[in-house]
Amino acid sequence: MPRNIKFALSILGIAVLIGLVSLRGMHERIQHLSENPKSEDQARREVLAPPISTPTDVKVQAKIFWAAGADRVAPVMVQLSLSADAVQRSKQVLEELISSPPTPEQRTLPADATILGFYILSDGTAIADFSDALVTEMPSGISSETMAVDSIAQTLESNVASLHRLKILIHGQEVETLAGHIDLTGFFDLNPVPPQSPAPAQGTASPPAPNSAAAPASNPQRH
Amino acid sequence: MRTFCSFVIFVIALALLNLRPEKRAFAETTAQEQTQQTGQQPPPATSQPAPPQQAPPLAPAAPVHVGPVVVLDPGHGGTDSGARGGTGAIEKDIVLQYAHVVRSELEREGFRVVLTRDDDSNPSYDDRAAMANTYHDVVFVSLHISTTGTVGTARAYYYRFASAPAGPPAISETTTAPNAPPAASLLVWEQAQQPYVEGSRRLADALQGELAQRFAGSPITTSGVAIRELRSVAAPAVAVELSSVSVADPNSLSAMAAPLAAAIARGLQVFRSTGSTPEN
Repeated sequence: MPRNIKFALSILGIAVLIGLVSLRGMHERIQHLSENPKSEDQARREVLAPPISTPTDVKVQAKIFWAAGADRVAPVMVQLSLSADAVQRSKQVLEELISSPPTPEQRTLPADATILGFYILSDGTAIADFSDALVTEMPSGISSETMAVDSIAQTLESNVASLHRLKILIHGQEVETLAGHIDLTGFFDLNPVPPQSPAPAQGTASPPAPNSAAAPASNPQRH
Repeated sequence: MRTFCSFVIFVIALALLNLRPEKRAFAETTAQEQTQQTGQQPPPATSQPAPPQQAPPLAPAAPVHVGPVVVLDPGHGGTDSGARGGTGAIEKDIVLQYAHVVRSELEREGFRVVLTRDDDSNPSYDDRAAMANTYHDVVFVSLHISTTGTVGTARAYYYRFASAPAGPPAISETTTAPNAPPAASLLVWEQAQQPYVEGSRRLADALQGELAQRFAGSPITTSGVAIRELRSVAAPAVAVELSSVSVADPNSLSAMAAPLAAAIARGLQVFRSTGSTPEN
């Protein structure tokens, strides 16, 4: 056999070997990706929203409200490093709420939802701006939407004392409902300020006691 | 002259003969109408003419309007499908079927029923509220099925506003009593439900009591939640949500229609019997 043919055959053999090894690796990678699908939003969050840390972070036991059964949320104590700054602290607890439910059944917000912005006005009104995924991937239903809003509101209420009301925006805009039911055009109570003067003569100035722990947080007030 | 008299007598006799079948026919028609209205068999035909006037039948020929107008609102519709189940169950279709069953039950009970949609249309939230707001003595019941939740359970919700923000009251100062709507003042459309919240809560309680009896595992208490559809309804308004479209057998969703209708009909009767007024 001529020398050049031997040389060509050995190169070909090496190429086939390399190809087989790479194909196997590629196959494993594809299998891994199919087992752990990562949406565009999740991938973006990993790049754009790394864990928030500030110089004032202190380890505390935070109360994060996840689902506890089919129709209510309950606090879970989680050790977190939280900032002293109310805006950063709010973002930190909301990030934890979205990204780390103890079990899939306890999830209240879509995994792809991200916090695009968080603002606090001087009167204690918090404005949380979420990505579209919060509405597009939310299971439709009064109970599921109520739990979603309650988990946001009660998590903020329990960890950031200075907040009194919450407004939820989607991609910077006010939307009518979360997923067809819960009214997002108004505000939600967070640590409501007690009235300083006698209540005006209104039907709901003194609302009845809530029937569930989640009730106070899901009551928007339209301006 | 004799011929003329004979002719006149002949004509009168003919006229009398023609009249008799008409009377018989009239008597038979009256008997048939009575049979249709009362469900009783007609008396045997006799040669006696029917009495000119008979007493009206005692059985109700048509439902009597004993309660308020009920505006039934099958949620979603059109491009808004609502919840979707793995078996192909779609909320907008199922709640429309439920609305038809509930309407039949309520009409049998004497209520006047209006549907916010009777096809695959999707009226806006405000259009649905406006439909209810055109009536005086009215209640609004919105029907839904959830995506999640314990299958086979049902919940009634009423709108609950947040604590009033600082600033001028939203409702006219002519309001004099808690939970009573202003008699002759304007309501803010976005808060039209506010004066009726207490009535809505009582209506939800009445319905929930009946739902809990028919849907095992349902809570016995109601929840105040900000449901967009209820916000602008100027009347007692509730949303009833069944769980869920995620059933393994779609037939089980159809099976919920009858108990749902019975619960709503009975709950409305309870609501009416506990001193409701159009306002509360």
